[in-house]
Formats: sequence, structure tokens, C-alpha cells
Amino acid sequence: MEQPPEAPWVLLVYKIPREPTASRAAVWRKLKRLGALLLHDAVWVLPATPWTREQFQWLAVEIGELGGEAHLWESHLLLNGQADALVQQFQSRVDAAYQEILDELEQEDVDLVALSRKYQQVRAQDYFHSALGTHVRERLMSARGGFAS
Amino acid sequence: MKWVTWEQVGVDRMACAWLITKYLDHEAEFLFVPAGQKPLPEGVEPFDIPGVRLSHHRGHCTFYTMLREYDLRDPVLQRIARVVDEADTVQDVMLEPAAAGLDVICQGIRLVSTDDRVALERGRLVYEALYAQFASEPTQA
Repeated sequence: MEQPPEAPWVLLVYKIPREPTASRAAVWRKLKRLGALLLHDAVWVLPATPWTREQFQWLAVEIGELGGEAHLWESHLLLNGQADALVQQFQSRVDAAYQEILDELEQEDVDLVALSRKYQQVRAQDYFHSALGTHVRERLMSARGGFAS
Repeated sequence: MKWVTWEQVGVDRMACAWLITKYLDHEAEFLFVPAGQKPLPEGVEPFDIPGVRLSHHRGHCTFYTMLREYDLRDPVLQRIARVVDEADTVQDVMLEPAAAGLDVICQGIRLVSTDDRVALERGRLVYEALYAQFASEPTQA
């Protein structure tokens, strides 16, 4: 899916004390859960929406409370084609996670409860509405058996 | 007393406004400023704005902070705080299935409301309902 070139992104750069490691890990896990992309081991990126802005703002405050420092920007890409490339990176990561669900659906004795939970988690990070997500949803619906809807 | 928060209220701020009016300040008057606007109006208590006293702390939502700041220990309120935490912040552990639905409903309330004041007003019914339902169940903070 194409991202209009003028669409804004939110960028987070932070530094946090090495110890305690639990704090570092908690921040890392939150960034992962938000589905943020780490560019060049330096900058965490998300497409700017009211929700991502707010989540990054709260995270920046939390990093400060943990003894770290965080800077948060909203910005636009200035080079042609880079927005699409970035969207591609978000997409391919989400698609890989969706594909895992599809692969697991092929297995016998599949745990539909766990898979549907996984689907919900991936979908929360699917900022550009992958077509594969729709497919996974349909497969989960039909895999549940019982009466057809 | 006057309370101020950012425009476009959602799940956490509706919860806070309900709590404020019901438990802290029956005459509460709410003001709304655009997100990020500084300085905030003088002589009003800001809430759910990054960096202020009544906002997210240590990964918890503002509603949770308010219970702590005002020493409200009702277990039903504590459970609502857990739900709002899961609805409004990134959590590793999810124990309250109502959270995701509550978030969507509160967003929708804002969409069908002409302004933030009306949205807070309507949000009150949602939290009254949640409180009543949780109060009727065995305690689980």
C-alpha cells in the first residue's frame, strides 16, 4: 500500500541507563509491541496517527522516569520513494507474522485460541492494512468449524 | 474547580472525568486545549497531559495515577484502573477482555459527540455501567 509522501512519521530516539536491565527490556518490549521499526540501530519510527503520537509521548515520559532521556519528533521524508520503502518494511514484517499464522493453521491440532490472539496482536501493528491480514482473518473464521457463518 | 486536558478525549480521559465528578469535585468544570498547546491555562488542574502530575506514570494510565494520588482504595475502582491500563497503554499481561472493547466504545462516543464536553458527559454512563457490573462480581482488583 502506498503512503502519501507528505504523510508524517513519529521518530523516537532514547538513551536509558544500562542497569537495571529490566527497565531497558521493558522499554524495548513496548517498542516491539507497538510495532515500531528501528532504523539503523538509531531511530524508532512509526507512522504518525493520534494513537501512535500519544503512545510515543507516554513512552518518552516513562523513559525519563526510568532515568533515561528521550527525544520525540514528527517529521516528513524529503527524498522521493523513501516513504514507500519505509511502508514496505512495515508491511513485510507484518506479512511475515501473518504468514506464520497461516503456516500454523496448516498443522494438525492447531490451537485456534492462541492463533486468534496472535492475529489480534499482529493486527494491532498492521498500520498499513495488509491484504494478507484479511486473508488470515477469513482462514481463522473458516477454521473454527461448526456452523458456517 | 477547573480541570484541563487535551482535545479529542478517549478511554482514559473519560474515565478520569467520571472519577473527578463523582469522587473529587462535584462542581468540576472541564476545559480542553489542542494537543501539545503550551502554556496551559493558569489556575486549573491539568490531567492526562504528558509531564503533569496527573498523567501516565511508570507505564500506568492517568486513571490509575489518580486513584493513587487521591488515595482511592475501592477495589472496584482498582479493577476499572486495570481495564483502562490495558485499553490505553501497552501492556505485556492482558487480564481484562473488556479493555479492547471499552477503548473502541470510548473512541466511538467521541465520534458521535459534537464536542469533548458532550463526549465526557456520555462517557459517564459507560463508567457507571462498568462500575455497577464489576461491583456485582466477586472482587478482582
